[in-house]
Amino acid sequence: MKAYVLGEFEREQPLYEAARTLRAHGHEQLDIHSPYPLHEADHALGLKRSTVPIVALVAGVTGALTGYLLQWYTVGHDWPLNVGNRPPHSAPAFIPVTFELGVLFAALAIFVGLLGGYFGFPRTHHPVFEVEAFRSASIDGLWLSAEVEGKDAEGVAQELRRLGARNVSIVPEAK
Amino acid sequence: MSTAEKTIQDAHALEGAPVLVGRPDDRALTESLLAPVLGPTRKGWLLLLVALLGGVGFWTLSLVTTLFVGIGAWGNNIPVAWAFDITNFVWWIGIGHAGTLISAILLLFQQKWRTSINRFAEAMTLFAVAMAGVYPVIHLGRPWLFWWLIPYPSTNLIWPNFKSALPWDVFAISTYATVSFLFWYLGLIPDLATLRDAARTRGRRIVYGIMSFGWRGSARHWRHYRIGYLLLAGLSTPLVVSVHTIVSFDFAISQLPGWHTTIFPPYFVAGAIFSGFAMVMTLMIPARRLLGYQHVVTERHLDNMAKVILATGLMVFYGYMMEWFMAWYSGSSAEAFAFLNRFQGPYRGIFIAQMFCNVVSPQILWFPSMRRNEYVLFLVAILVNIGMWAERFVIIAVSLHRDFIPSSWGMYYPTWVDWGLFLGSICTFGVLFLLFLRFLPAIPLFEVKELRRELEHYGENAHPGSEEEG
Repeated sequence: MKAYVLGEFEREQPLYEAARTLRAHGHEQLDIHSPYPLHEADHALGLKRSTVPIVALVAGVTGALTGYLLQWYTVGHDWPLNVGNRPPHSAPAFIPVTFELGVLFAALAIFVGLLGGYFGFPRTHHPVFEVEAFRSASIDGLWLSAEVEGKDAEGVAQELRRLGARNVSIVPEAK
Repeated sequence: MSTAEKTIQDAHALEGAPVLVGRPDDRALTESLLAPVLGPTRKGWLLLLVALLGGVGFWTLSLVTTLFVGIGAWGNNIPVAWAFDITNFVWWIGIGHAGTLISAILLLFQQKWRTSINRFAEAMTLFAVAMAGVYPVIHLGRPWLFWWLIPYPSTNLIWPNFKSALPWDVFAISTYATVSFLFWYLGLIPDLATLRDAARTRGRRIVYGIMSFGWRGSARHWRHYRIGYLLLAGLSTPLVVSVHTIVSFDFAISQLPGWHTTIFPPYFVAGAIFSGFAMVMTLMIPARRLLGYQHVVTERHLDNMAKVILATGLMVFYGYMMEWFMAWYSGSSAEAFAFLNRFQGPYRGIFIAQMFCNVVSPQILWFPSMRRNEYVLFLVAILVNIGMWAERFVIIAVSLHRDFIPSSWGMYYPTWVDWGLFLGSICTFGVLFLLFLRFLPAIPLFEVKELRRELEHYGENAHPGSEEEG
């Protein structure tokens, strides 16, 4: 059975130190919770570059292609419409819709991709929410959470206390 | 003291008022910024809401009349087929653009002062676009068939004409509304989580808990979030320029004197930002005082916004001068007449109001003392709002009522339905804004806290990007 060990830190530096120490001890399932983004947290947790830009690029190109093909098919091919004697397939007139659909697809992909894909939302129940004091994580608290094997939980909690954490709690993951 | 230090000190002196007064800790910031949401309902808020709801009633009545009677209930006619409806549409869309400018373009330029006003401005964008979107739809005549604008394989066996600017508008406005909403909501998620955690009642915890989707401030999420937010800003920047460019194409692509000019796209974008900043100012000056946001929306913000109004006002004036110059230089008698008609025709009063409000009144903002005077700023902001509405009326209705042949001349007089759709939309916008101020955090908490941390670590003049390498 897995368990979550949580600890709150007063300042940033001890928090990063604690994350590095636990990682050195072989605990990789760590997370830092803060009310605002912390650049250093990425380094402390050893996180890699985000892949969101690739998702956005692919979606944007798909959207732009969709926009262009839609216009080419509808007014250029399926039902050639003669307006002002412009050629049925008139590329300059197709630019605005092509651009707008590219932006639309990219934006939707970023939003849906972030929430549904990268974050796994909606997930309003998470073991970390079991700790009442964890409410401060979105207000002014800096928290470290570690997902560990049940038998290691007590040891990691001791370690966190030693590293300067307060409000150290263990949440067993319900099966 | 070394030269470098001296330069830094001088720069500091130039910066003037701080972007954040004092250095409150995160808990104090959270409490002061959430007080309007978590505190009791204020009497003034309720009174204002009830008063504006009256206007919403007027708006609804005008909408229902339009639906039952048709657009014959308006003063529109031939030749003035576009009048209050399209004027209001362009006016509202333009107002919306300042929100995107503040939240996206200033974010990319790393302008720290945008932080406390961006949520506010984005909400303004959303509500303004919602108001704008109503006009083209009801102007269709049979608005219940609005989906005919969407290209789908229907039994009508006909597609939208993609070589016309009007279907471009459909895509531009719907994309703009969608992207603005996504950008606004993505920014709201961490703050909704703060609301969930700071709320004292169970009902609020559940509602804000659902709205925040279970955000837990995880570093594994923040790293994607930051990039995603920045990318959305990067996408919104060309989007906002494209939207008003496409709106201006509705006019520029036609052959009507007064519309048929290539300067329209940049001139419309500048005008949009000009009017939008004026609207942010109109809303912000009373709101910061009533809600106690003076420590996060400081004199510095008002000063900077006033400078943007002054600068874009001058761009708009340049646009006017170029239009007049081209009317003369082109040698086209119809074009020259269209512009003389603005000065001398039956609607010259509106033209004079436009010139006074847009060109003369912002000049007072050259004086630093005036840029710090809330009353002067509020007055100028109101005048610019009026002036920009007048500008759109002059471009649209005044150009239409006198075109090439005197036999096709006419006059336009608004009916009560036209007034209801215009003034009522302002009240509806106000109601949406009041609800926003009461139920959602109007100042982005996480960004202000991040700003506080940056200011503590690096000082007022540091480049926020410099920690990136850390």
